[in-house]
Amino acid sequence: MRDIAFGQYYPVSSPVHRLDPRLKIIFTLMYIVTMFFVASYFGYALVLCFLLTVCAVAHVPPKAMFKSIKGIIVLLIITAILNLFFYAGEASVEWTWWIFTVSPEAIDFALKMMFRLILLIMGTTILTFTTGTSELTDAIESLFKPLNLIKIPVRDIALIMSIALRFIPGLIEETDKIMMAQKARGADMESGNIFKKIKAMLPVIIPVFVSAFRKADELADALDARCYQASPKRTKMKKMSFAWRDLIAFLIFAAFVAIIFLDKYLWGGLDGYIVQAFQSLMG
Amino acid sequence: MTAIKLENVYYAYEADEGEKPVNAVDGVSLEVEEGSFVAVVGHNGSGKSTLARLFNGLLLPDSGSVTVFGMDTKDEKQIYSIRSSVGMVFQNPDNQMVASVVEDDIAFGPENLGLPRDEIIRRVDRALEQVGMSEYRKSTPFRMSGGQKQRLAIAGVLAIRPKVIVLDESTAMLDPKGRREVMDVIHALNKEEKMTVIHITHYMEEVQEAERVIVMDGGKIAVDDTPRAVFARGEQLKKYKISPPAVTLMADALADCGADIARDIATEEELEDAICRLLCKD
Repeated sequence: MRDIAFGQYYPVSSPVHRLDPRLKIIFTLMYIVTMFFVASYFGYALVLCFLLTVCAVAHVPPKAMFKSIKGIIVLLIITAILNLFFYAGEASVEWTWWIFTVSPEAIDFALKMMFRLILLIMGTTILTFTTGTSELTDAIESLFKPLNLIKIPVRDIALIMSIALRFIPGLIEETDKIMMAQKARGADMESGNIFKKIKAMLPVIIPVFVSAFRKADELADALDARCYQASPKRTKMKKMSFAWRDLIAFLIFAAFVAIIFLDKYLWGGLDGYIVQAFQSLMG
Repeated sequence: MTAIKLENVYYAYEADEGEKPVNAVDGVSLEVEEGSFVAVVGHNGSGKSTLARLFNGLLLPDSGSVTVFGMDTKDEKQIYSIRSSVGMVFQNPDNQMVASVVEDDIAFGPENLGLPRDEIIRRVDRALEQVGMSEYRKSTPFRMSGGQKQRLAIAGVLAIRPKVIVLDESTAMLDPKGRREVMDVIHALNKEEKMTVIHITHYMEEVQEAERVIVMDGGKIAVDDTPRAVFARGEQLKKYKISPPAVTLMADALADCGADIARDIATEEELEDAICRLLCKD
């Protein structure tokens, strides 16, 4: 449980950390959209290379990025199986066994879907690895400022989001502790079928909820005691402004997105060419 | 000058249906002098944490009044000047931090006050210096020790520049080393910066470092005296479910056996001296 890396900030100094947080949020959104346009295995390899490069520039260990997948492994397996057996597209060959039908196209589709999910999670964690929660708050607040006009409390919503992120590691730790405490009292959480396991989680979930509410109570007092909302005009310690490195980062990111789109629409997926080139090389 | 003044204050939490509300604070009158170091002790449910939350208007009295530097906490217009003069540190350092980077968290208070940018930076620098954590400015509190985290929580409060700092069992979750770190910081604040400290605790070793002790029991002030005078009451304190520090108990026991030792001994050195003197006499 403790290995879930999502939402953990890596406090190092790097060019990626210093980027304007607003730009990083926009990059992340663009990245998510771009992921749905990746058409080939070459594209996925390119995305992975891109992420590893960003990790290296950001001084974040790539291991931390891979660890973030752990949390969605069950989801991954379920989507892969569903895609494999319920593939609705055209199939060149069909292998049927009992009620299961598999085709090369289905395998291809399931694999690509899995890569897409993995890379989506890995890419988005880079944002939280390299951006402190209050930077995120400020950036969200700044990006969504226009919403203030229609009386949406952007500032409060941004603070809620960043606090939620900050409390994730704490709550995981708490869950761990409570699980150990229940195990020490003889609770059995590993054996039995899925329904038994879910039932066995109840004595863990309830105390976690109670403790979360207690934490929230104390935090609310702490916010009040530190004069939250004392002044209608809240000031900022860190000024956000675009610098040269933001422009450079934008150009690099744009090039990356461009290649993905070229791969899909112009080259129609480079996989075929690569296979061809490989075959001709082999004679 | 009086920093905080309570006049005949009552406070009761909302009770479940069919139950009679019990007064958590039951007719308390008290004055805290500016620059003093006051310890508040009492067993669980004695009303000491409720008392703390009355000091800065987190709770408002049902009847009676709480005045902070002449401002009534019931006055909504002044609530933020009250909260910026009475800073409060809570029990669990993890539940007080809003940001994942040290300097951002400390800046939270001054940002709320709407101060200009360079003033915020100045305050963050100074607050970190005051708690001796300047080198952690850019790090994240997630992996720090309890003592360090609590010192950061104190820094976060100091950045608001309060005149009074209230510590609500802020040492309760710490190991002995962390407790010492926090106590050293608040003593320095009290001595060097003349800050008023109200320290709520159940560690008697910390109480003996205060100038004045308030013992709470059933929402009322049971005893209000110097630590020495309070500890000298010995067995009497059992009534309030607190016990004097081990040295005082030892001196007490020795005196009971007929040794010529004062009953109000508060430190190990004093006990050592007294025993040495006694042995030399024989």
